[in-house]
Amino acid sequence: MKKLIVVMLALCVAGGLWAQSITLKMGDNLSDRTTTWGAVVEQINAEFKKANPGVEIVTESYPDQPYQQKIKIYATAKQLPDVFKYWSFSTLLKPLVDGGFVMELNKADFAKYGFVPGSLESNVWGGKLYGIPVSADMWVIYYNKKLFKDAGITTLPTTIEDLEALAPKFKTQGIIPMVTDGKDAWPLSITYDVLVERVNGDFSRQQAALDRKAKFTDPDFVEGARQYLKFVQSGLFQEDLMVSDYGASRNLFGQGKAAMYLMGSWEMGLAADTNFSDEFRSNVDAFKFPVLKNGKGKVDDLEAWYGGNYVISSASKYKDLDLKYLKYYAERFPGLAWERQATFPAQKVEPRPSDSPVAKKLLKILADAKKTSGTTTIDRSTPQFKEDHQNFTRELSSALITPEEFCRKLEASAEKASKQQ
Amino acid sequence: MKALFGNGRVICALVLPGLAVMVFALVVPIGFSAYYGLTDWAGFGKFHMIGLANYLEILTADPVFWRALLNALILMLVTIFIQNPAAFALAAVLSHLPARFSRLLRTVYFVPAVLSLVVITKLWVNIFNPTYGILNKVLHLIGLKSVMISWLSDPRTALGAVLWIILWQGFGWALLFYYTGLMTVPSEIEEAARVDGAGWLQAHLRVIIPFMFPVISAVIVIDVISSLRQMEMIFLSTEGGPGSLTQFVSVYLYQKAFIAGAYGYGNALSVLFVVVAVGLTLVVQRILRRNDDAQ
Repeated sequence: MKKLIVVMLALCVAGGLWAQSITLKMGDNLSDRTTTWGAVVEQINAEFKKANPGVEIVTESYPDQPYQQKIKIYATAKQLPDVFKYWSFSTLLKPLVDGGFVMELNKADFAKYGFVPGSLESNVWGGKLYGIPVSADMWVIYYNKKLFKDAGITTLPTTIEDLEALAPKFKTQGIIPMVTDGKDAWPLSITYDVLVERVNGDFSRQQAALDRKAKFTDPDFVEGARQYLKFVQSGLFQEDLMVSDYGASRNLFGQGKAAMYLMGSWEMGLAADTNFSDEFRSNVDAFKFPVLKNGKGKVDDLEAWYGGNYVISSASKYKDLDLKYLKYYAERFPGLAWERQATFPAQKVEPRPSDSPVAKKLLKILADAKKTSGTTTIDRSTPQFKEDHQNFTRELSSALITPEEFCRKLEASAEKASKQQ
Repeated sequence: MKALFGNGRVICALVLPGLAVMVFALVVPIGFSAYYGLTDWAGFGKFHMIGLANYLEILTADPVFWRALLNALILMLVTIFIQNPAAFALAAVLSHLPARFSRLLRTVYFVPAVLSLVVITKLWVNIFNPTYGILNKVLHLIGLKSVMISWLSDPRTALGAVLWIILWQGFGWALLFYYTGLMTVPSEIEEAARVDGAGWLQAHLRVIIPFMFPVISAVIVIDVISSLRQMEMIFLSTEGGPGSLTQFVSVYLYQKAFIAGAYGYGNALSVLFVVVAVGLTLVVQRILRRNDDAQ
């Protein structure tokens, strides 16, 4: 009888614990959980679990492209994670908002977390807030100071012509001058955006073309495409640019085989990534995307936007807890991310003397900016336009089409997209 | 027993389970695809019926679809007319070698077929890498120092490089089929041909190949099907690029449906793909049957 009572009590306790235990499902694109951004999220999760006994957090992480596909499939199957990292763009968040998959947030709930002006607004659709921004993204060129010194380069290039002229100096040393992720093509499309601005000095032209108030076949876009083709074929990039993915290109830079890395400010964590050597980490720095000698764009016209965000699934069973997590994330993320130099937050951060040179430089680049681009062109229209833009940029990069054909194709795709929206 | 199998109900009861599986595994999904192919659905959220617009666009204004089909056709022809004869010739040589050597070589040739496609693709992507890949390094070693070909992204070499990986991986299977087929050829037939004055080549061309025709037909049908359904290798290496030079239909419809958010269009592609694949398989089978009858 005693034994029976003990077993029953044990079952009651176990049942009680079972009833209290809540598992929050989360998703993000941070596959590495031990360094930089992924480690910051793990720390936030650990703290949140400690403050909320009985809450478990299960996270699914994949690289960008598979993650985006996974989220679309989960949305279709009505199995979205409770809280997930995503992107604020019209190509990604808007379809989820339109489909009613994302919970509406109260802007006032997040007013006290020091979000940079305009960053929360990047997550507003139809006057309603659907996500909190997590990073301020800038398009910059990272460089390895030691490899520059070894090649005898003492001044950083301020014009694209000067930048292109560096290619042979690195090649004679057996170093790849510059790398980026060409396989996924979005870095190439963003680079085309920047080059068009360097031609016309006007970030608003891309939106005008999408709104059908300008044409992608206008002279400034065609000149931008010519400059792009020249840039890609100048010998700066790795030979296998078009099949080199994010990880491969990042590793070439991190392993000291490439002198420059064309990428966004979210890679600030390179200076803290223990997967790479101390020598590399102490030599990584960044500089502004140069200008064209005869272009109207200025070096402080900055391609910058607020991309990454966190959202809550409208089908979540634990919406109050999800919201609590989001607030906790908003409170802890900027401090932790800056402390670990993991990424550039979309919230105010306090510069410290111990900041890495690359973090200091990125802060300066943002402070120097006279005007910023806002969301990149590929993410301002439909998913199909984005795919088209990337495919046409791939074709142009391989010289399969001329700059004029590239612009004609872009124009046709924008026309089609305008009718779908 | 005859009466039992003559009974309509018994026939129905026996056929029904298999038929049900066929209907749910094939007909229903294709039916759904055909239906969603008539919509502008992005994969989630609301959608509208747009009639045959997707189908018409694919057939009249989508060069990538036709390029993908052309690539499948090129792969099919290369497999049938280059890989198969080479595998047959090697199988013929192996069948005459001492058992120990033959077994060792068969194992070596079959290794690529048992390796994971991911491993093979990554292996070749690394070999073809222009910067640190071994192929360019070997070319440099033999004096071609100026050669710096980006095999998988150069428009001149990309399709060839991709085809090479596919052929390399599939060679072991073709060899295995032909070797097994050759083992079933009675030695008397070859000996009789030799007695009648036929040489090695003539005996193979006139006697052994006709005898092996059922095996050859089976391999060709498998080649046709696998050429059409190429997906993983392309996805892991070039994703159809540069441009759409190495695009295949399976990769393209996946990209449309799940990356470009054109799920309706992707479904329309898949329906047309089924039609093309079934049509092509029927044509190939008819040609092979005619040849078989002629033998």
